[in-house]
Amino acid sequence: MAAGEDAVGRLRRGSGLRFEQLKGRVFEALLIGATLVGIVSLLVLFGYIVFDAVGPLAASPRWYLLYFGTLVTPTAAFTLYARRRPAVRAANARAFAAVFGGVVLSLAVYAVSDALSPYDVFIYLVFGGGPSVSIAVYARKMNDNTFAGPAVPVSMVIGVAVAAGFYDVLRPIIGTVPRWITYIAITTVPVAAITGWFAAREWTTRRGLLTAGVVVAGGFAVAGGALVSGIDPSFWVVLFSGTVVPVAFVVGSTAATNPEGRIGMLGPFVVIGGGLLGAVVERQFGIAGLDSYLTPTLLLNSWDGLNAANAGVYPQIVGSIIIVAFMGIMAIPVGIGAAVYLEEYAPATGWRGRLASLLEINIANLAGVPSVVYGLLGLALFRNTLGFGTGIVVAASGTLGFLILPIVVVSAQEAIRSVPDSRRRASYGMGASRWQTLREVVLPEAVPGVLTGTILALGRAIGETAPLVIIAVATTTYSAPSGLFSSATALPLQIFASAGNAKPEFRTGVVAATAIVLLALMILMNAIAIVVRNRYQKDD
Amino acid sequence: MSDNDMNEREKTAMTEEQIETEDVSDANRGRVISDSTDEADDVLIETGPTAGLDDDKPSRGTGQTIVESRNIDVWYGDDQALRDVSIAIPENEVTAMIGPSGCGKSTFLRCINRMNDLVDICRVEGELTLGGKDVYDENIDPVALRRRVGMVFQKPNPFPKSSRDNVSYGLNVQGIEGDHDEIVERSLKQAALWEEVKDRLDESGLGLSGGQQQRLCIARAIAVDPEVILMDEPASALDPIATSKIEDLIADLAEEYTVVIVTHNMQQAARISHKTAVFLTGGELVEFGSTQKVFENPDSERVEDYITGKFG
Ligand SMILES: Nc1ncnc2c1ncn2[C@@H]1O[C@H](COP(=O)(O)OP(=O)(O)OP(=O)(O)O)[C@@H](O)[C@H]1O
Ligand SMILES: [Mg+2]
Repeated sequence: MAAGEDAVGRLRRGSGLRFEQLKGRVFEALLIGATLVGIVSLLVLFGYIVFDAVGPLAASPRWYLLYFGTLVTPTAAFTLYARRRPAVRAANARAFAAVFGGVVLSLAVYAVSDALSPYDVFIYLVFGGGPSVSIAVYARKMNDNTFAGPAVPVSMVIGVAVAAGFYDVLRPIIGTVPRWITYIAITTVPVAAITGWFAAREWTTRRGLLTAGVVVAGGFAVAGGALVSGIDPSFWVVLFSGTVVPVAFVVGSTAATNPEGRIGMLGPFVVIGGGLLGAVVERQFGIAGLDSYLTPTLLLNSWDGLNAANAGVYPQIVGSIIIVAFMGIMAIPVGIGAAVYLEEYAPATGWRGRLASLLEINIANLAGVPSVVYGLLGLALFRNTLGFGTGIVVAASGTLGFLILPIVVVSAQEAIRSVPDSRRRASYGMGASRWQTLREVVLPEAVPGVLTGTILALGRAIGETAPLVIIAVATTTYSAPSGLFSSATALPLQIFASAGNAKPEFRTGVVAATAIVLLALMILMNAIAIVVRNRYQKDD
Repeated sequence: MSDNDMNEREKTAMTEEQIETEDVSDANRGRVISDSTDEADDVLIETGPTAGLDDDKPSRGTGQTIVESRNIDVWYGDDQALRDVSIAIPENEVTAMIGPSGCGKSTFLRCINRMNDLVDICRVEGELTLGGKDVYDENIDPVALRRRVGMVFQKPNPFPKSSRDNVSYGLNVQGIEGDHDEIVERSLKQAALWEEVKDRLDESGLGLSGGQQQRLCIARAIAVDPEVILMDEPASALDPIATSKIEDLIADLAEEYTVVIVTHNMQQAARISHKTAVFLTGGELVEFGSTQKVFENPDSERVEDYITGKFG
């Protein structure tokens, strides 16, 4: 009896234990508090920006009622319906990705190609991409990867070099075809190849070829229609290739493979339809709407420093995209290459090992150097030494490239280091060489991490202002850059400039709306990164 | 110093001496090696991935020594893990290595296929030959060596790939041609795993249980048909049924291959091995001989104590 009571007594909570548990709870509550403070302050900031950008106070209650009826209610109803049905939800997600991803990518591709001249894009794409893609496809088909690895990047570099060398000869020849044909070549043809490849993988080769043919024919049909109606077909060709085709493909394949989920594909159309309907009613009945600066005008016009309602940041958007894209092309391969060397090849001992660890320490420190200092580096190199023109794309990309290089190296190193050594040992134990181990085991596992770090670096670069100010990039340009050596500006610089405008509506509305555009660009990039990363992880 | 020089000269003499061997054609072993280096005999400097090894197939006659170590010392930094180990491992037989934890059994296995090269602080001294060739000779490419000496690790380490790709990994990296699906099936059957994974060959190998993963690693190692298979406690994570299947597999393998197996299970060593080597703490090889002799009538008293469980 006594012994039994003793056991029960020991299982009861003693006061000491109770105090320990209390401490644990208090600690947990403090952590929750810290998290909430962070999240709430961010929400307040975003709320403030959105408030300034769209001016919700100007809208009448009827306006809110209208959109509540046309947009919010149907969307909410649809979401509720889809919530319990995984098949519907999956179809809905794919349709959303296709529609909005397609629209945004089409716009970006059109804007960038239009700025740089579609003829140039065509020349570099054909010479850089043509041979390398053919080699890759051939190697895949022949199941022979012996030479494809080195041949693909090498042929790309050689192709670009050849195109640059013969540019003066090629350009007049290409220049004879109408603009819209080059758009067919740079958008419709690759899209046709990709959808054809998907279709061939899913069904048969014949069907793949047929799909590709239909896409190309569709591109010409759209162009023909536009020509007949007397408008420039270029934009419509891009929109067709970048949006209509992917949406049709996703809708078609989902309808075939996921019959229960079919209805989910209506999701994006519910949203778009609701928005359009609301807009039509709003205009028809003259309902007082938002006092928004986040309008098509902002996206499509160029800057007007006197009239806020007329101000647009189209050149700034295109400039940002081109600067960051070119920066990525230069800095990312270098950064990943350095990371792979330091992690996989650099010896741990001897003078080379010491050199490598010295490099490693320095790179890690460089990642923390203030961006203004990188601006000075760009200033010294591009302006004072190389004598480049003021504020041209190459200088901006190069300066930002230096800035993100250490970030890319460090994050890629971390991703590579996170691959367990036992995998490497397993591979070596199977008689794999170092290169095979790297290609087959280490890199596939490191890719998601490398991509995440890279995209974070791109996001950092797209928002950088200080280094661009130092290398004297113009805060405002009135046209998008026409090439890598033409002057450009970027969104954050325009934000910086309009925040100092004398007129208050610039300092509140325009600046906030431009900030939202910048954030949207960043979110878009992150979304692409997440999609790519998830794809890789699923393949494991 | 003079001792070292002597050693060096001896080594050179060993490698220059071409050992006559009967050529076993690859076809006999059920596969074709795609990069034919068989005509590389007259190449003086060999640097390719198969350099220095493939041109010189040892004979298959039993009773011959295939792996021989002479006075092997291994250091991890300043800690000595193996002391003066000399052993002659017979061809086409099963040799068991037993001994208490930390006595250097795994270290010795890693010397044979030069996996110790991957450990920066590890230093190997002495001589170790495979088929009469010094594997630490500078002409020997460790990659080519590991294609002939397969290994199953102490901890299961499948790749985050499908089971199929795990087993065919070695076939792909070694450029072995033939019907990979068939080789995969045969290897998985030999490793007693086929029934469990045949319906999910395309699912990740990491989704298997620990014991299944270990058998997957065994299948992966035997798929490429190595001459010597090093197994570091292959049955430590297996249930009795799978263990007995693996023991059967080892018996089968010994008809064609040389198996060196580390085990902590005395009965297992006694059951499956022809020869047994006993390492004791400090990295010494205390006893090596036929399994029957080692278990029934060991020379060393310490070994007797260890085997009977008086000391670990
Ligand atoms: N990578 C390494 N770095 C440093 N020391 C090591 C390393 N690997 C092994 N050692 C040391 O070498 C000695 C022998 O280790 P080894 O792994 O060969 O033992 P083992 O006989 O296989 O033991 P077990 O039966 O537990 O697997 C141990 O003292 C160990 O601490
Ligand atoms: Mg061990």
